[in-house]
Amino acid sequence: MENLEALMHGFGIALSGNHIFLMVIGVLLGILVGVLPGLGAPNGVSLLLPLTFGMQPVSAIILLSSMYWGALFGGSVTSILFNIPGEPSSVATTFDGYPMARDGRPTTALATAFGSAAFGALVGVVLITLAASWVAQVALAFGPPEYFAVYFLAFASFIGMGGSPPIKTLVSLAIGFALAAVGIDTVSGSVRLTMGIDEMVKGVSFVVAVMGLFGIGELMIAVEEEFHVKAISSKVEWREVFRTLVGLPKHGWALLRSAAIGCWMGITPGGPTAASFMSYGIAKRLSPRRANFGKGEPEGIVAPEAADHAAGTSALLPMLSLGIPGSATAAVMMGGLMIWGLNPGPMLFVEQKDFVWGLIASMYLGNVVAVVLVLLTVPIFAALMRVPFFIIAPVIVIICTVGAYSVSNSYLDVMLMMGFGVLGYLFKKLHYPLAPLVLAIVIGDKAEDAFRQSMLMSKGSLGIFFAKPLVTTLILLGAALLLMPTIWRTIGRMMPRSEVKP
Amino acid sequence: MVSGRSLEAATALITGAFGAAVIVSSLDNGIGWSAAGVESGTFPLIVGLVILAGSLFNLVQGWLQARAVILGPSEFRRLAILFVPAAVFVGVIPLIGMYPAAALYVFGALAWHRRGSLLVPVLAAIGAALALYLMFEKTFQISLPRGALGTWFGF
Repeated sequence: MENLEALMHGFGIALSGNHIFLMVIGVLLGILVGVLPGLGAPNGVSLLLPLTFGMQPVSAIILLSSMYWGALFGGSVTSILFNIPGEPSSVATTFDGYPMARDGRPTTALATAFGSAAFGALVGVVLITLAASWVAQVALAFGPPEYFAVYFLAFASFIGMGGSPPIKTLVSLAIGFALAAVGIDTVSGSVRLTMGIDEMVKGVSFVVAVMGLFGIGELMIAVEEEFHVKAISSKVEWREVFRTLVGLPKHGWALLRSAAIGCWMGITPGGPTAASFMSYGIAKRLSPRRANFGKGEPEGIVAPEAADHAAGTSALLPMLSLGIPGSATAAVMMGGLMIWGLNPGPMLFVEQKDFVWGLIASMYLGNVVAVVLVLLTVPIFAALMRVPFFIIAPVIVIICTVGAYSVSNSYLDVMLMMGFGVLGYLFKKLHYPLAPLVLAIVIGDKAEDAFRQSMLMSKGSLGIFFAKPLVTTLILLGAALLLMPTIWRTIGRMMPRSEVKP
Repeated sequence: MVSGRSLEAATALITGAFGAAVIVSSLDNGIGWSAAGVESGTFPLIVGLVILAGSLFNLVQGWLQARAVILGPSEFRRLAILFVPAAVFVGVIPLIGMYPAAALYVFGALAWHRRGSLLVPVLAAIGAALALYLMFEKTFQISLPRGALGTWFGF
């Protein structure tokens, strides 16, 4: 019960006036970026990064993670009330959330979503509480080959389970790796891939990539799809909220199943978006009320929401214990950790106990704060959606530009950001996933270092990855995940298709 | 009118060109094995090859499968209305500096859509520049670019 003790200690840190205040600010800003199309959790968190440089790391991570929870909740608000997903991971919530709200039950839809989301997040945090320090302990014994194997596993699971076309995922991932390699090579000190531009020696910052890919890119997608904001009453009836929350346990099985899917997809970096779609698909297939899906079926809201939040939360488990972020936002946070001078990975649990457990405790509190605040502020943020898009768009462009510039006071970064914006638009439009690219920029160097150190140990023989049982298992598991799409397709061909996934 | 096929092809060509550039650039750093272990160009070379091969696959795949039109004239117009002013905004920053550029951008966007009184767009433009100044120059102590115009005025 060492973990519980540590958790209590963590609550002692998280439950200070200052930290509660940061949570409230973080959640509110998070809901704001979650509601606004074009701004999402990854760029919201990147924008806040410079603000945190003067803070204690534990305060900084509480602010950033609270923003993440807020953004996850905020994305669902617009999905349900306006049929516009504020976040990619809340797309699946529109399938049943919007029809239910349109049919005159917006409060029920919102309460179902928030209740399931909170449950999913809770399962994710409990998992982190119980398993994170154990994983870290195992990982303490890891050498470079094991680390490389874990990275390989993470990247393979993106390709195998991310839900996007595998080769497109591979290209996106590899571009991220190439961008990570730009600048000074950490092993030999030589300068790489600057393409003749001297300033590129400083490398490509993940913040610049995130601003462009997720900011400008999403904005372009949003204008192209010209939205029609059809206002549904955004008044929250508290009695109905209470009644819905009390009734949630009748979806117990769906909740548990969705949370489990979410945790799995969060830990192996499939990400919240893939988790919510997968959970929705499975719920639809297994439900006896299948025909009702897409018309306002409660389980159609429960499934994606619980999975989305479970994945979002548990994405921090591998980030903390292994140094591998489970989602794009977690990748940005991990970039922050490195800027604050912390070394994400198992040593955190030994050297930075206050930081780790303060963060974990704040995840319990932050999600409670998020549920309360999101319910209280639904009408305000819903009103924000009525601000015409031609006003919001320039504001977001300016924010992204300044955000990219402020990383290292460089105009080149602004140009790169616009380039990433166009790339982000093309990628989104053509179903290339963006998260692997960001993830690879953040941890590409570490993966490469692990590989090169392994090669030094073995004097250039790849046999080192098959020398010990643990490393062999990880590599084989990765290879299996890599082949998953092919296996599924073969099975799909052999069996007649009975229904189509949404 | 842009078909899925040409958009797929264009994207694959962009990623492929990037992959090729990575390959060429990685050769400068040395590839393979040296006394100090794996040379620093090796990893980029592998990555570049993966990008190039993947892009070729996507090019062929996209050309064969995506035939429908995915960008009609009205979508294209809306995209241009967003992107062209944004690109102009970014383009003029080195000339006139961040503050005037942002103010003009906000003014332009509002004046274009509202047609009529110019009072609101002017106020919004001044407000945007002022908000940027207070937020970055004052709070975060980040100095935003002044541009050639700023230098000329001696800021």
